[in-house]
Amino acid sequence: MSVRHSAGSFLRGLALSLSKPYLAVSLWLIQLLLSSVLILPISNILHDLLDRSVAGSRMVANPDWGWWETLQREHPDLLGNLSALSAGILTPEGVKSGQLPGLQGIGATAIALAMLGVVLHAFALGGIFGTLREPRASLVTFGREGMRRFPAFLAFTLAALAAAGAAYRWIYLETGEALTRRAQELDTEGKALAVTGLRLLALLLALAAIKLAADSVRAIWVARPDLPPISRFFTGLGGVFSRPLRLFGVLLWYVAVTLGLYLIWLVADPSAGGEARLALVPLILTQQVFVFVRLLVKVGYYAGISDALSRDPSPEYSYVPPAPASPPPESAATL
Amino acid sequence: MRWAKARAIVPAVAALTWSAVSRGESAPSADLTPPIASYEISARLDTEKKTVEGTELLTWTNRTSHPTSTLRFHLYLNAFRNTRSTFWRESKGKARGKTMPDSWGSVEILRMTLEDNTDLLPAVSSIAPDDGNPDDRTVAEVRLPRPVEPGQTVRVALDFVSRLPRVSRRTGYKGDFYLVAQWFPKVGVLQESGWNCHQFHATSEFFSDFGNYDVSLDVPVRYRGKVGATGRQVEERVSPAGDRITYRFRQASVHDFTWTADPAFLVVGDHFHEAGLHDVDITLLLEPEHRRQADRYLKAVRAAISGYGRVLGPYPYDTLTVVDPPWGASGAGGMEYPTLITAGTSLSAPASVHEPEGVTVHEFGHQFFYGLLASNEFEEPYTDEGFNTYMTDRVLSAVYGADHPVLNLFGLRFPLGIDQRYPVDSNRRFFASATRDVHATWSWGYRDVETYGADAYSHTALALATLERLLTINAMDRALRLYADRWRFRHPSLKDFIAAVNDTTGRDWTWFFQRTFGSSGQVDYAVDQAESVPAKAPRGLFEKDGKLVAGPPEALATPKGYDTVVTVRRIGETALPVEIVLRFEGGRTFRTTWDGEARWTRFRVSQGPRLIEAVVDPDEKILLDANRFNNGLRVKPDLRAASRWTARSVFWAQNLIDFLTVAW
Repeated sequence: MSVRHSAGSFLRGLALSLSKPYLAVSLWLIQLLLSSVLILPISNILHDLLDRSVAGSRMVANPDWGWWETLQREHPDLLGNLSALSAGILTPEGVKSGQLPGLQGIGATAIALAMLGVVLHAFALGGIFGTLREPRASLVTFGREGMRRFPAFLAFTLAALAAAGAAYRWIYLETGEALTRRAQELDTEGKALAVTGLRLLALLLALAAIKLAADSVRAIWVARPDLPPISRFFTGLGGVFSRPLRLFGVLLWYVAVTLGLYLIWLVADPSAGGEARLALVPLILTQQVFVFVRLLVKVGYYAGISDALSRDPSPEYSYVPPAPASPPPESAATL
Repeated sequence: MRWAKARAIVPAVAALTWSAVSRGESAPSADLTPPIASYEISARLDTEKKTVEGTELLTWTNRTSHPTSTLRFHLYLNAFRNTRSTFWRESKGKARGKTMPDSWGSVEILRMTLEDNTDLLPAVSSIAPDDGNPDDRTVAEVRLPRPVEPGQTVRVALDFVSRLPRVSRRTGYKGDFYLVAQWFPKVGVLQESGWNCHQFHATSEFFSDFGNYDVSLDVPVRYRGKVGATGRQVEERVSPAGDRITYRFRQASVHDFTWTADPAFLVVGDHFHEAGLHDVDITLLLEPEHRRQADRYLKAVRAAISGYGRVLGPYPYDTLTVVDPPWGASGAGGMEYPTLITAGTSLSAPASVHEPEGVTVHEFGHQFFYGLLASNEFEEPYTDEGFNTYMTDRVLSAVYGADHPVLNLFGLRFPLGIDQRYPVDSNRRFFASATRDVHATWSWGYRDVETYGADAYSHTALALATLERLLTINAMDRALRLYADRWRFRHPSLKDFIAAVNDTTGRDWTWFFQRTFGSSGQVDYAVDQAESVPAKAPRGLFEKDGKLVAGPPEALATPKGYDTVVTVRRIGETALPVEIVLRFEGGRTFRTTWDGEARWTRFRVSQGPRLIEAVVDPDEKILLDANRFNNGLRVKPDLRAASRWTARSVFWAQNLIDFLTVAW
């Protein structure tokens, strides 16, 4: 039953997403701009190093391991030290924010962009959830709703982010630390992999619960403007407990469809083989169409979550505005 | 050093007697070289106490021209005795990136006597010839009551007990699995200059003299059929009580003896036969969860026996045992011992990634450089590890093609679609630390373990691959063969290889080795400038009919073609001769060789065809060149590669950003 319900919610969400493509376009633009800021210095050095290099021509089609190693070695300032420091930032002992000032190069930019990304993510989700509930909406609605919900949604996003970090630390890192020696003493690698798999599964379930809780709160926050904020928040949390399978099902459909898209991409890989497969402009178009389709699915997921929470029989999660008061009968007026 | 007092030989160990020696029971046939240090050992494994109790009969001959009044012994299990050993201090308690467990190992000599029953134990003392560490017990010296004259043979009987550590580096146990290496008191190498008997170091392997081994191993009966060792098994005997079983192995002309046991082993047999090479019985001791990789192991072993044998001469021993260590015992993997190697793999080893093939081929290759030639790995680690890496790359490249890097996610390995070519990509770690140390350094003298690996392994492999390209591969093979034939069983050094190269080619290549091994310099050549512009008419005053007039004469007034300037720089400190090619439109090329000594050289072409590109080292002979991407410049830029990689980068950054916002 839950499978049918969740599939129905997910499909209706997809249909809603397709009917409001500007939502996916908004997300696409945000991600494109963020990634462009990150990639611009890399692109510049790519052109600087490869455009006139004889070795560059053999990289049109295929990645070159040597070039990557040489770039890291010859231009350490460009790539920075994110990979070296990332392991030291979120540790079993907690977040070592003292590592952040040591970041250099693209790594430092990536951290700054990630913070900006969190803010934009909160804004975009406010816009998406708000717009999804408007029967006749537009990009203007998206912007208005995004700003209107921004403070609350930013708080939800930061709380979910902190919860996800805590889950990673306590469920995955700490257990890994505690089990390292014991895992080495197991009879077989298969058993050790199973232990890692269980840790990973526990982490994924925790992250899924955090995500569903955050999205449920967001959806209810928009759907029940008649409730006071505290009630809205707890009603949103309650939404997860009232129909966990249906919401989890919607999430699973979303993950499955997204992974399917990636699988198709990796198998088809239009960028492999160089120009023999696809010239530059068609390649860029194909890449961006893929990103856009994926974002349509993402918006569809959010719509599916709203649908799963607000669809009958669940009037408690759906606010129905009172019918406008009917005008007094004309005869009475005359009296 | 305080030595345990002599006590009765462990009763369960069959005591060796002088009469056994006199009957010649321990002298295997088919010696490939006159023995210097031969051993008869009876050992008993106690799986409860994790100890090996043994009796050893050493027959040692002084083959130098000087008498010696001392003997020196390796007691290498004492490296694991406590945290004050030289090994532990150098490694900082880490082995292959992992923290070593607090599981200690040791070897104690309980009795040491000469043939006339002279008790030598009071004359035993601990020494630390490398670093003077008074807490290191890995080398012992015993003062003899009378010198051993040149050509004289001395026999020493020892009782010892070896405590095995939980395996973290090269030797020890894990559960029921045992890799028992460096486990018995072993005599050092006496050279004309004195004893060469180094301590156990974190970054060094071993150096010993050749002899014949006859070893009996008494293990619990549950290990029946699951014991592998150096040499050929010649006897299997179950104890009267039926709870123990004794295996006897014999091998002539080797310089160490190692054994392994695990009741879980799957025993896979194979036989190598190839015209022109020696037949070899192969035994693969495989962990059950790796059974699907048996064929991969065996294919790699056969490729190695063939590939190395074709260049360096046949592997001369009858047996080869390949050990696949179990999960949690990777510290026992990737090691070489005479006629026995340990490899290693994982459950998720992708077919396109050379694991376990790479380690199998490499460890087999040590049978030549560490085994037959027996270079001094302490003082010239590159003559084993580096030469072997060079040969490993050749075999792997010929048999398997390019390797692929793996993405390790949650213990599973996924191959990436990027080619890692041999030998350049497989040895790239060298470039990251190329200038930290003089490349030819003693094994424990490198700045850190990364530099040791980069220099001893990768630098040498790249230097030899460069030499191969300068000499031609046929000349290189002839030099290697001459070196291997000339120095088999004789502990050669780098200068002996240089002599082989010189003798093969008829030219003196010492300069090449001085520059590549004797310095800490880096090689890097670059085309710094490649311009080709339409030739312009000269301006100014020119002579015409004996007068200076404005403007050039008619012949110069309308220039044709292009003026080209190419500048090639030597960026690295090390100079090697390099070829330079200038390619012009119309298919014309200019090729020359530059000795590379100056910091730069320049080429000018006036009114010639338009230059397309200038390339230094166009045939990629100088594999030591740290940055190959500055080796060629095009006149006209080609934006395609950078544009496509920019598009890819943006695409994956978009996906990454989206992924990071999924969870919250």
